[in-house]
Amino acid sequence: MSDDLKGTEIVVKCLKEENVKNIFGFPGGQLIPLYDRLYDETEIRSILVRHEQGAAHAADGYARASGDPGVCMATSGPGATNLITGLLNATMDSIPVVAFTAQVPTKAIGTDAFQEADTFGITMPITKHNFLVKSTDNLSWTIKGAFKIANTGRKGAVVIDLPNDVQQKTSKEYYHGEVKFAGYNPSVVPNPLQIKRIAQKLMEAERPLILAGGGVILANASEDLRALAEYLGAGVATTLMGKGTIPEDHPLSLGMVGMHGRMAANKMINNCDVLLAIGCRFSDRTTGWGLESFAPDAIKIHCDIDSSELNKNITVDFPLVGDAKLVIRDLIKFLKKYEDVKKDTNIWQKRVKQLHSMCEECETFKPKEDKLTPEVIIKAINNFLDDNAIVTTEVGQNQMFAAHYYITKKPRQFISSGGLGTMGFGFPAAIGAKVARPDKQVLDIAGDGSFLMVCQELATAMSEDIPVVVAILNNSFLGMVRQWQELFWEKRYAGTKLGTIPDFVKLAESFGAYGERVEKVSDIEKALKNAFDSGVVSILDFKIESETNILPMIPPGGRVDEMIGVGRCRHK
Amino acid sequence: MPTQIISVLVEDEAGSLTRMSGMFSRRGINIHSLTVSPSEKEGMSRMTIVTTGDEREIEKIEKQLNKLIEVVKVNILEKDTSVIRDLCLLKIYADKENRAEVLEIANAFKANIVDISLRTITLEITADPLDVDRFVETMKNFGIKELFRTGVTAISRDIEKKTGG
Repeated sequence: MSDDLKGTEIVVKCLKEENVKNIFGFPGGQLIPLYDRLYDETEIRSILVRHEQGAAHAADGYARASGDPGVCMATSGPGATNLITGLLNATMDSIPVVAFTAQVPTKAIGTDAFQEADTFGITMPITKHNFLVKSTDNLSWTIKGAFKIANTGRKGAVVIDLPNDVQQKTSKEYYHGEVKFAGYNPSVVPNPLQIKRIAQKLMEAERPLILAGGGVILANASEDLRALAEYLGAGVATTLMGKGTIPEDHPLSLGMVGMHGRMAANKMINNCDVLLAIGCRFSDRTTGWGLESFAPDAIKIHCDIDSSELNKNITVDFPLVGDAKLVIRDLIKFLKKYEDVKKDTNIWQKRVKQLHSMCEECETFKPKEDKLTPEVIIKAINNFLDDNAIVTTEVGQNQMFAAHYYITKKPRQFISSGGLGTMGFGFPAAIGAKVARPDKQVLDIAGDGSFLMVCQELATAMSEDIPVVVAILNNSFLGMVRQWQELFWEKRYAGTKLGTIPDFVKLAESFGAYGERVEKVSDIEKALKNAFDSGVVSILDFKIESETNILPMIPPGGRVDEMIGVGRCRHK
Repeated sequence: MPTQIISVLVEDEAGSLTRMSGMFSRRGINIHSLTVSPSEKEGMSRMTIVTTGDEREIEKIEKQLNKLIEVVKVNILEKDTSVIRDLCLLKIYADKENRAEVLEIANAFKANIVDISLRTITLEITADPLDVDRFVETMKNFGIKELFRTGVTAISRDIEKKTGG
C-alpha cells in the first residue's frame, strides 16, 4: 500500500518509470484529466498533433528511430477511432507503441453516451493486446504490463482504454516490480540443437544468401548480421523493413528483394543453395506469388521471434524461434566450430559483386537531359544527406523509388510503412523521428497524394519546432495505382488523376514553414540546403513527369524471377 | 477435412472469449462448436473448440492461439486418446401411438427421459458426438420439436506408461 494517488498521477508516475519523455496526442472531453496533469509536467513533453492519426504515426516513427516505445493519446470516441490506422500500422510492422485512449465514465459505458466508442472491441484485432481499465486500483499494473507486452517478444501496439473516472479517482494500489502474465512468456533463446543443424548447413553452402528483415533492426542486431555475412561470404538481400540492416554500399549487399526489389536481389534468391531468412515474414510483396518458385533449389532456414510466422507463408526446412541477435550470435559461435568443413564461397562472392554492379549499371537511370526524375532527385538527396540522416517515406511510387535508390547505411534510418502500406505515414513519422533524434537530419520522401492526407501536421511541426524536410515527388497523380492501371488496366486512370493540386510552396508559407519549388536538376542541392538551413519544417515541391513508372517490378501473379520492365538490362 | 478438437486454457479476463473467437474469424477459420467452462485452476477457463483442418492448418491455429496473451495452454486432443462428450436435449413429438417406440429407442441409446407431456417427450443424451448424431438422426423419424446441443467438451485420457522389466 502506498499513498493515495490520483489516476492521472499514477499514469505519469508509470510513464516516468518507463522512461517516456514525449507523448503525441490530441485532447477531448474525456481526456481533460490526463491533459490537465500533463499541463504542469516538466519531464514529459506533450506534443499536440492536429489529427489523431498523426499522433499514432508520430509515436510509431519515434519508436522506429529510437528503439524505445512510442506513446500517443487520444480522447474517447472519434479520437480513439482516428488512431486505428496508425495502431494497425505499428502492429503490422512490429513497432512498440503504447496508446492511451480516454473512455466515458465506467457507469456510462454501454449507454451510447456522447463520444462513446467500443475502443476495447475495435482495437482488439488490430493491436498486439489491449486493456480496458475499470478501476484505478488496476491502473499501474496495466500500464506496466502494456509496456512489457508492447516492447518484448514480437513487438506491437498496445491500447489502454481509460474511463474518465478511472483517471480521476484515487487509489493506494501501486504495483512495483515486473508484471507477469501466465500466458505470455516469449521465447527468445534459440534452441541450441537447431542452431547446430543450421550452422552445419550454412558451412556446407556454396552459395549462401541471407534475407534480413525488420526483426534484425528491432533486435539491434545489424552489426552481428554484418559479421555473420562477412564470415560466411553470404550475399545479403533485405526486405523493405530490413533496409539498413547492412550498409547498402557494402560489397555483400544486394538491396531490397521482392515485387519492387532490385534485380540482383531477386536473381540471387533463386540462385542460392542455402537461404537464411532472419526476422522477416515472407510477405507477398517479398516473395511474389509463385511460392513454389521462391528460392526453389535452396535449403530454407527461417529464424523469427514469432513462432507463428514459421511455416506460415512458405514451408521451410529449418525453422527456428528466437531473438535475431541471439540467433546470429549463437550461429557465429557454432560456425567457428565447423571451420574445417567451411566451403569456399569466393566464387559466389565474386558473383554477388558482379551481379550487383551489373544490375546497378542497368537499373541506374542515366539522365540524357536536365530533367527532374525520381531517380535523379533521390540520388541528389543521397549525396546531400549525411550518413546519420533519417529518411521516411510515404506509400506508393515515392516509397519504392526511395527503397530503390536511397542508399541506407545504418539501421533505424529508413522508416517506411511496410505491412499496412499507409499513405500519410511518412510526414508524421518524420516528426516522431525528429523528436526522438533532434540531432539528425530528417527527410520525408513524399508523394503529392500521400502528403495531402496529413498536411495539417505542418502546424504541429511549426508550433513544436520540429524542423523536418518534406520532398514531394509531385506528379499530380496517385502514381502507384496509376502505374498499375497503365500496365494492367488498359490505362483507365479511374480515380487516380488528382485534378486540383495545391500550391505546396504557398501551403508551407501559410503555416509559416519554408517552401520551395524545384524544376531544374541543377537547383536540387541548393533547395535541399535552403530547406535544412531554414530551421523550420520545409516543403520541397519537385515537379516530376506525370507518367513515370517504378520498374522493374514483379507483375501481380508473377514469380520472384519474373520481373517486367527490365528492358534496360543487358545481361538478363 | 478432418475435425479437430482444441482445448484451450485461458485467463478469465473480460474479452478473452471475443479475442479468441476473433482470431478464428480474422484468419477465416470456421468454428463448429465452442464451449466455455470453469477449469481446475482458479481464475482460468477451459474452452473446447471444434474446427476443421489438416495437420498444417491446426498447427497454425495452435500457434496463433498461443500468441494471445490470455491463452495459457493449448492442447490438440487426439480422438483415440481422449474422452469426448456432447450433451443433447431434444423434444420429440410422441403421443400414445408411438410413445413406447420412442422410449425403447431412447433406452437403447441410454438417453434419459427428462420431461413428458401428452404430445412430447424430452430426452437427454450425453455421449460421443457421433453417437449423439446417430441418435438425433433416428429421432428425426418421429419429428423433432426442439433440439439443443452444448457442443463438444473433451478431456485427454491418462495413458499409463509401461514400466521396464
